[in-house]
This record gives sequence, structure tokens and C-alpha cells, in this order.
Amino acid sequence: MAEKYVILPCNGLDKCAGLVTRELALKLHERWDSEIICPVFYRVSEAKYNKLAAERPLLVIDGCPTRCASKLAVEKNLKVARRIIVADEAKKHRIGLNDGLRITDLERRFIDDLFEELNKIEETVRPASENEAVSYNFDYETIQNRKFIFRIPKNGEVFFNENDCWAWVNGNRARIGVTDYVQQNLSDILYFYPPEVGDEIDQFGESGSIESSKAVFELVSPFSGKVVAINDKLATNPELINENPYELGWIAELELTDPEGDKELLIGFERYIEITQKKVEDADVK
Amino acid sequence: MSETTFMGVERNLIDWKPTIDYSKCNYCMDCVEFCPHKVFEVRDNDEIRLIVKNPHNCVVFCRACSKTCGPDALSFPDKNATTQRIKEIRKEMESHG
Ligand code: SF4
Ligand code: SF4
Repeated sequence: MAEKYVILPCNGLDKCAGLVTRELALKLHERWDSEIICPVFYRVSEAKYNKLAAERPLLVIDGCPTRCASKLAVEKNLKVARRIIVADEAKKHRIGLNDGLRITDLERRFIDDLFEELNKIEETVRPASENEAVSYNFDYETIQNRKFIFRIPKNGEVFFNENDCWAWVNGNRARIGVTDYVQQNLSDILYFYPPEVGDEIDQFGESGSIESSKAVFELVSPFSGKVVAINDKLATNPELINENPYELGWIAELELTDPEGDKELLIGFERYIEITQKKVEDADVK
Repeated sequence: MSETTFMGVERNLIDWKPTIDYSKCNYCMDCVEFCPHKVFEVRDNDEIRLIVKNPHNCVVFCRACSKTCGPDALSFPDKNATTQRIKEIRKEMESHG
């Protein structure tokens, strides 16, 4: 599967991270026989690359959070199978990329590591959530303004934080996700970056992010705990979050560390409905 | 905006805001465009062209603008320290009835 990728690097020349995208793309091209899309040529002539991208899954490699390559993919209506942002990876690896415009040994080792990781990811199948068939019986309260309809589940076991994320507690586990408010504001969600299975997340810590052409939204986890499952389906169908962010669009499942302590700083649906109503009214006035 | 609270605590008691590292910032203004809460202010005629004007408008625990910042010039307070502080303030409020 790996060798079938077509790769779109940002190929940025004004930052070391951009150069890393190019080297990584070249390495993947050599080892996996992947095809590379040249972002500059793509701007002037589409036909060749549109065809390639339609035939193979697309791997986007961005250097920095400006995400030029991702934006190009959006502009060209390409479906992204996987994306990495080199600057974020460098942070994870605790590597400070150099300020110059040349790759040094440090970056070369980093590129090798990234390559190995991509290889591994391709080999290991992500653990699917066991309770795929969990049945939801959420009853929804609806808030409506001129433009949008927001639904909020009325369930005593669903908790919210004031950062528009929800958690549905089930024993010592909880599923987490974003609310309708986030989904509507982002509009079409194009990318999903899950946390990793095994990650330990603090309460209010980052637990993945989602992105549309408008913005990036970082999930703020309502609970602390260990990630035991992620919603695999979102990797290929992030639009499920738009369809229903509480059911098919759940993001991750956590094994909870301190549910009772964490609940002190969370709110139930009644309060969340009030807060959302106020936000919607404020936004309406503007 | 004085009536705004976060988790029952008055917003202006919570220290949560972006800090701009001017040695990295290239004034692309992506953060300004991104944030809907009027946290930043552009000052076209000053040498420092961007400031954090309304820190208390910033949504506690949000860090979204830093994700749009290419040169990684935005930083935030420590989240755990902030959570602890909110818990403390809530305790104080409870004990004062
Ligand atoms: S996004 Fe970053 S570099 Fe651009 S103006 Fe804001 S702080 Fe400065
Ligand atoms: S962290 Fe969020 S609310 Fe605060 S300034 Fe950045 S985008 Fe705006």
C-alpha cells in the first residue's frame, strides 16, 4: 500500500523545515517508488497531477504550520490520505531544526527517523475500537439561529467543557469528540489528526485536531486518561464529524484516570446549552 | 465583558493568553485573521506592529492561533498550572460561600 502513495511536499525554500519535506519526499520516492507532485508546476498545469492524485492515495508533507501544501490540496479538491507537518514532528522528536537553508546531519537523521516511522505506520494496522456496535440512544436538544441548527445530546453521562468538546462516560472509559457548534463553524472537515493510542492525556490537554479549509480546531480533552482507541473511520471519512459529531464522528476513547476529580471542572448538557445559546446570540449580533 | 466567566471563575482572574515572541514574528498577521475574539491588535504605524490587546478575550485552553503561526512565535501559559489555579479559585469561592 505504501508504494502507491503520491506525495505532495510543500518544497518550501525559505525554511529548513521546507527542505526537509523535499528530502523526505525524495526518500519515499526512491524507496517506495512513490510519485512526487511538484507544487510549483501544479500551479501552472494541473492535468498530469490531477490524474495521478485520482489514482493513488495522497500523502501531504508540510514543513511549517502555514500548511502551503495542504492548502494547495484543498484548492485542487484532492482527497488527502495522510499528512505530516515537519515542524510538529520535530517538536515531538524534541529536535530543533537549524535556522539556515541547508540540511545538516541532524536533519538527515531526523528524515531517516520520519521515514522509518512512516514505514511502521504502514505495517501496523491501527487497533479498531472493540465496541463498534455501541448503540447510542441520545436524545437531542436543538438550538436554532438564522443560519444554523445545533444539536446537543441530553444525557446525564455526557459531559462538556467550555471549549466545545464532549465526553460520553461509560464505566471507566469515555468517548470524546467535538460538539455541533465546532463542526458547524469549521464547515467541511477535511483532515483528522488523532492522538496516538497509548498517549497519556491531561485534562484540558490536546487530544488531536481537525481541520477544514477555514481553520484548525484542537480538541481540548474533557478528561484525563490514556487513549485506548481512536475512530479509524475518520482517517478516510472526516466528514462523519459533520454528519454527526456525537455518534459516528467520535474522535477517541480514553481509559479514565480521575473521572470524579475531572468532573468537577466539567458541565452537563443544561449548562452547555445555555452557554452555546449565548455564543450563538452574540455571534448573531455581530 | 466583565460578566464573563470560565468554569464559574471570573475570566480576568485567569491568566491565559498568547505571548508573541517578537524575535520570531514576521507580521504575517495570520493569527489576527484567524482569531475571531479580537485578542490581537494591529498597529500599522508602530514599530511593533502587533500586540495582544485583549488578553481576557482569549478562550482559556485555546491555542488555535499558534497552529497557524509559521515561525512558531506564539506561546501560552502552562495548562496544568492554569487548571490548578482555577481549582484553587473555585475552592476559595466555595469557602467564602
Ligand atoms: S501568525 Fe505568528 S508570525 Fe504571523 S503575525 Fe501572528 S505571531 Fe506573528
Ligand atoms: S488562543 Fe484561541 S482565542 Fe486565544 S488568541 Fe489564539 S485563537 Fe484567539
